Amino acid sequence: MSALRNGSAPLRAVDDDSDVEEEALVADYKEQVQYEDGMEELEQVNSLTMAQQTDDIQSRLVAAAQPLDFSAPLEVKFQSYDSYCNLFHFILNSDGPVDLEPPSHYWAWDVIDEFIYQFNSFSSYRLRLARQARDNEEERQILRDNPNTWGCYSVLNVLYSLIQRSQITEQLAAMKRNEDPAAVAGEYGSKTLYRMLGYFSIIGLLRVHCLLGDFSLALKTLDDIELNKKAMFARVMAAHFTTYYYVGFSYMMMHRYADAIRMFSHILVYVSRTKNFQKNAQYDSITKKNDQMYALIAICVAFHPTRLDDTIHTALREKYGDQLLKLQRGGPDSLPIFEELFKAACPKFISPVPPDFDNPEANVDPIDHHLSIFMDEVKTNMWSPTVKSYLRLYTTMDLKKLAGFLEVQPEELRAWLLVNKQRTKQLRWTDQGLLDGEWVNVSDLDYAMQGDLIHISEAKVGRKLVDWYLRNLSRTYN
Amino acid sequence: MDSEDPQERPDDISTIINGLERYNPEAVVGLEDYLRHQCENRYTDCNANRTLLKLYQLNPDRIKDEVITNILVKALTCFPSPQFTLALHLIPPSILAPNSRAELPEAIAKLRELNNQLQGAQYARFWATLDSDDLYADLTTDIEGFEDLIRLRIATLVSHAYREVDLSVLEQWLDLEGAAAQKFITETAGWKLDEGASVVKVPRNPENEAKKSEVREDVNVDMFSRVVRRAWEEIA
Repeated sequence: MSALRNGSAPLRAVDDDSDVEEEALVADYKEQVQYEDGMEELEQVNSLTMAQQTDDIQSRLVAAAQPLDFSAPLEVKFQSYDSYCNLFHFILNSDGPVDLEPPSHYWAWDVIDEFIYQFNSFSSYRLRLARQARDNEEERQILRDNPNTWGCYSVLNVLYSLIQRSQITEQLAAMKRNEDPAAVAGEYGSKTLYRMLGYFSIIGLLRVHCLLGDFSLALKTLDDIELNKKAMFARVMAAHFTTYYYVGFSYMMMHRYADAIRMFSHILVYVSRTKNFQKNAQYDSITKKNDQMYALIAICVAFHPTRLDDTIHTALREKYGDQLLKLQRGGPDSLPIFEELFKAACPKFISPVPPDFDNPEANVDPIDHHLSIFMDEVKTNMWSPTVKSYLRLYTTMDLKKLAGFLEVQPEELRAWLLVNKQRTKQLRWTDQGLLDGEWVNVSDLDYAMQGDLIHISEAKVGRKLVDWYLRNLSRTYN
Repeated sequence: MDSEDPQERPDDISTIINGLERYNPEAVVGLEDYLRHQCENRYTDCNANRTLLKLYQLNPDRIKDEVITNILVKALTCFPSPQFTLALHLIPPSILAPNSRAELPEAIAKLRELNNQLQGAQYARFWATLDSDDLYADLTTDIEGFEDLIRLRIATLVSHAYREVDLSVLEQWLDLEGAAAQKFITETAGWKLDEGASVVKVPRNPENEAKKSEVREDVNVDMFSRVVRRAWEEIA
């Protein structure tokens, strides 16, 4: 069983968010965990024979997927960069495709993940040093002399080269058309090693673009990947998880809150359903990201109140109950909570160029930069909860009277009403590329003004009972 | 709404945006020319302009201050879409810090204030701010028809929310008075003034109807197919 099980047509057409879909995913994951158990034994055997053969390149492959100690000295970080460069150079620029089998089905993900993680933490570390002018002059000098180590261009270059070499874009396009990807794979792309590295490099790009603050390009990168359980990334839990986090986050930054909530919900439901047979260390690292996504959901729900999945709603109230209440109330009191949650849950943004070591104060932390821009949007919308809570009480209302209730000038209230009206229209993903979508009314509350008279209409949403009924029914079966 | 990819975009720009050329520092020349064309011809290609900002982000030595501000002013005309915000995210934070580059941080801060006012639908305040400092005139001078473009956006958004609007309110929002206001309302927007000429009537459209609706769940047999099959399988 390989991580890249392409071509296997789905047995039944399923709705992306349906129960069936989830169950299939869960079953899939169970299988994967069991498979990994088997792998460990296999690896032990492997490492024995490997030691005998002193197979250098195989051990380099394994080493590339190993996490680097967080507190590793600068020298080790430089060495690690060099060994990645050598490894990728070997893979990409040898005479023809190299004849190697990846050590495991999740190896390619681990390598790309670790490569980007090290790039990310190196950039953050370099900026931190540049901001503290006092100590570590030695390390600062080394960093100043080597501006290209872990440079943004070389990281992007690796990812794009792996994508091109493997013809993965062409392969995915062929799969979308229900054609055989092997026909367009070429001599590199037909090998598992290249195909997997190429595939996960696409996810890697999503992440790098997001870290650099280019949210629309991040989503554009996934044009060729279909987000569903057939997707290759769904076979590797960490990849699955990471993809949804970055896609959801990018949507949030593009003010597409309904789509962001959909992404976060999907993966959080999946995690909650698989946690019972999660037992390895992988799960610990997921727990942190899991909490971050709940924080992001809280932010998105504050912008776009909606009904959440029961599991998520309960967990959200447990983890961030107090904060959510304040966010949903809006107004200036909510601002510190938005900041707190955003800072706790955002990716560790980086700057693509080396910092200015001679002017410590000129180096702004990219997190503060993105946060302050995001807060502009929060401030624009912070009166919407107030406006909505009043409008719900009436079918018609005089603007001046409402302004009197709210103790604001009529002109101010007109602005609030316009803002809220504009934000009820959101681009919502249908089934095209992630950037596309349809303009839909995402709120159950709508209104129109006739001079100073506000006409309000509320869409009555009947209770959705089928899903509830089916869930409980399947519970009694189990 | 604004489409991401305008039809005016020439092929060579598409090639840059969609391929690896987008990382070639030399591509800034073509993208800068294209921006100039957008400024002169009243259309905006935010996607192409972000590609340019991205190149600046990666190659800070290429940065041209007036190109950055022109991109931001162009993005302003796309409110309430997040184009301005997305552009701002790509501008290196170090050049936003005061004192680093004499005028750029101040210019960006000023444009950001304008954007917040437009996003916040404080149109009267927006025009007042625009009038308050000569710097704004400098910043918008390259953008052909900047004020007209903003007025059109405001008018569109008003038509989404209003069936009737007081002329006096609308005049403030559009920063137009008397004959100029009447001309804009009747000719550009195609709206009508009532007999007393104090209320503007906006034609009905799907947005300003605020229809009552009821969302009900559609239930069909297929939704239960699994349960039924399962029940059948357990017996079997």
